Parts: sequence; C-alpha cells; structure tokens
Amino acid sequence: MLDPARRAPGRTTPAAGPTRVRVVDGALACIARQGVAKTTLDDVARQAGCSRATVYRAFPGGKDAVMRAVVDTEVSRFFSTLAVCMGEASDLEDVLVAGMTEAARCISTHPALDALLRLEPEVVLSQLAFGRMDGILAVTCAFTTPFLGRWLDPAESRRVAEWAARIVVSYLLCPDEGVVLTDAGHVQRLVRTFVLPGIRALSLRAGAPGPPPPAVSPPGPGTRDAPRASTEYTTSAFTTKGEAS
Amino acid sequence: MHGTRQRILEATYACVARWGLSKTTVEDAAREAGLSRATVYRYFPGGRDELVDAVVSWQYLLFFGRLYEEVHGASSLEEVLERGLVFARRSLLEHEVLQKVLDTEPDVLMPKLTVESNRTVGLISAFLVPYLHEHGMAEGVDAHEAADFVARMILSYISSPGHWDLADPAQVAALVRGELLAGVVSDTEPVTG
Repeated sequence: MLDPARRAPGRTTPAAGPTRVRVVDGALACIARQGVAKTTLDDVARQAGCSRATVYRAFPGGKDAVMRAVVDTEVSRFFSTLAVCMGEASDLEDVLVAGMTEAARCISTHPALDALLRLEPEVVLSQLAFGRMDGILAVTCAFTTPFLGRWLDPAESRRVAEWAARIVVSYLLCPDEGVVLTDAGHVQRLVRTFVLPGIRALSLRAGAPGPPPPAVSPPGPGTRDAPRASTEYTTSAFTTKGEAS
Repeated sequence: MHGTRQRILEATYACVARWGLSKTTVEDAAREAGLSRATVYRYFPGGRDELVDAVVSWQYLLFFGRLYEEVHGASSLEEVLERGLVFARRSLLEHEVLQKVLDTEPDVLMPKLTVESNRTVGLISAFLVPYLHEHGMAEGVDAHEAADFVARMILSYISSPGHWDLADPAQVAALVRGELLAGVVSDTEPVTG
C-alpha cells in the first residue's frame, strides 16, 4: 500500500501525520455535506482517498475518535487564526475588534459548523448548555488573555477576555441586524460604545477602594458557583453530579 | 377553557420531571391530567412536540415572572441588576427539573432554550429602558441599544457565570458596575450595604 505516512522517515506511529490530516479533512468535508449522524467511516475513507482499514489504523477508536480529532483540529485552527490577527494588533481597540470580528467570521463561515447548525443543531447547541459554556469561556479566556496583556493588567485582561467572548457568543446565537459581528465596522462601533468605556471605568476604579475583583484562581471546593479552570470544555460547573464525558 | 390548558401544562411538567422531555408522551400527560387524549389534542393539535415546547415556554415565562417580581420594586438600576443576577442564578441552580434535564437531555433542551432566550432579550430590554432613562446614560448612548446590550449580558452571566461567583454580593456589585453598566451609564451608584 502506498500510504505515505507509513513511509515517512522518523515516525514512530505508522499512520500518524498525513493520514490523520487527510482523514480529518475528509471527515470535515463529509460533515459539511451531510452532518455527523449520516457520516459513516466508509464515507470518510472515500473522501480521504484511503481504505477503511487505513482509517482504523489511524483512529482505532473508529468514528468517535475521528470526530474527536475533527473537533480538536478545528479548535486548534480557530485559535491559531485568532492568534495571528490578535498578535498583529496595534492597540487595545484594534485587538478587540480584530479578535471579535475574526472569531465571528471563523465560526459563521465554517462549512461543517454551518451544516451542523442546519441539519443537527442539537449537536452544537447542547455544547453551549450552561456549565459547558463556562468551560468554553474558560478555554477561550485562557487563550486570549495574554493578547490583551499588552495593554491591560492581568486581572483586567482576564475580565475583558471573558466579556468579549460572551459578546461574540451572544450576537452569534441571537443575531441582531444592527450588530453584524462579521462586519468590522459594526464590531468597532460596539467596542467603542460599550466595551472601551467599560474598560476605562474598570481601570479608573482599580486603584480606588471598592469591590474586589473576581477570584482569578479557581476557588476551593464548596463554592457552588465555582468556575472550573479546566481546559476541558465539556466540564459542568453546576454540580458535582458530572456530565457524561 | 384557560383552566384546562393550564391543567395540561402542569400535568406535562410533572411527567417531564419524572421521565424527561423525550420520553413524555401525550398519553402520559392526558393520564396525569385525568383527561382524554382527544382533549389534550384539542388544546395542542401539534401533539407531543407542541406540548413539550409549550411546557418549556411556560416554565421559562414563569421564571421571568418571578424575576420580575423580585426586581420591580428596586429603587435604582444597579439594585435591579444586582438583585436580578443573584436571584436568577440561585433560581436556576435550585431548579431541580431544569438541572436534571440539562444533565440528561441537553441536546433536546438547548435548541428550545435558545429560541426562548432570543425572545427574552427583547423582554428584558424593554423592562430596562425606563431605568436607563431615569439613571442617565453616557454621552451618545442610545437607550434601546444599551438596554439590548445589558439584557444580553444578563442572560449570558446568569446561565454561565464563567469565573464570577454570583452568590457573592461584592462580586455581583463589581460585575454590575463593570461589564454590565460601565460602558452604558455616565456614573454608577456606589455600593451600598
């Protein structure tokens, strides 16, 4: 078999590398066409131009493993795109506008995500349930906070990172024709009207006696509302009951 | 009659609490309400799906009705938001049926909740507009735009507080004067109590 991954020098796992990428991209194309439920491993193999056996060698866990790899890959791609545009920003307004616009653009123009929202919205929306959204916010916040750190102190950066992530999620889930987040002009107006004055007010207050900033480290056990500073974005912050996976 | 519709909703809610959203049938609801299936279909011609949607809407409105009761006597915008956030978060956490369904059937509940919450932005926003006018806004801020923005943030923080502890009054006061209002009003009232 002419599986390039098997021939690549220096690889310890025979099917690592190119095959994985081909399978993930093949799966993405299938999802964009027919959603997750109707996508079979045969479809993925055909799309990736390899055999079912090759797919299994790369992903012994089968369809579930392929789908997890798809999510991981797309989340990484999303954050690397964000890193590029936020890293190039020249001031605080710019980093917020660029980050929010780019995040909205990535999410709303993603072919597989778009198909899922049309064909199987529950697959996406169930990930946004209350406690799971806390996990998504924590991951996003952990990633974007350092980019704001060029202009804000760490506690402010973290507050603003979470705030901006909420704004993006809110306008994506509940669109407003006056605030189209993929339009940088709209985002700039939103940032100038509400966010920057808000940040200025936060900074002014930071030196003065006043309410304490929110806990920046995860509170100890027993705090019911405690955020879980976890990178696992399916963690429930509600109770200790725990969710399936 | 209005009473029968209400009776069916309450019966369906009892079934959902026991068996969840997916497993509740028209038959169950009818039995629980002590009515015939035909009667249930007369009120909910769409059958099971319509019934379950109606129960979610009804509970959602009940929740916001209680929230309204909690905040409408407040004397300032800050107090409305502080009391509202604390009460709403606590109510959501203590809502056993909601928590159970969120745990076991997020895929069924979340699409419905997303629809409801999109409707609610307008309701909360309309409630806030007079408070914003009374409070006074920052220069160039439009009351309706500001109310819409604050309403979105309220919904976001009560469902997923992120790294905020909404059981802590000091944090709630900081959140209200920060993310919720700092960009919207000219100045916020100092923290009292």
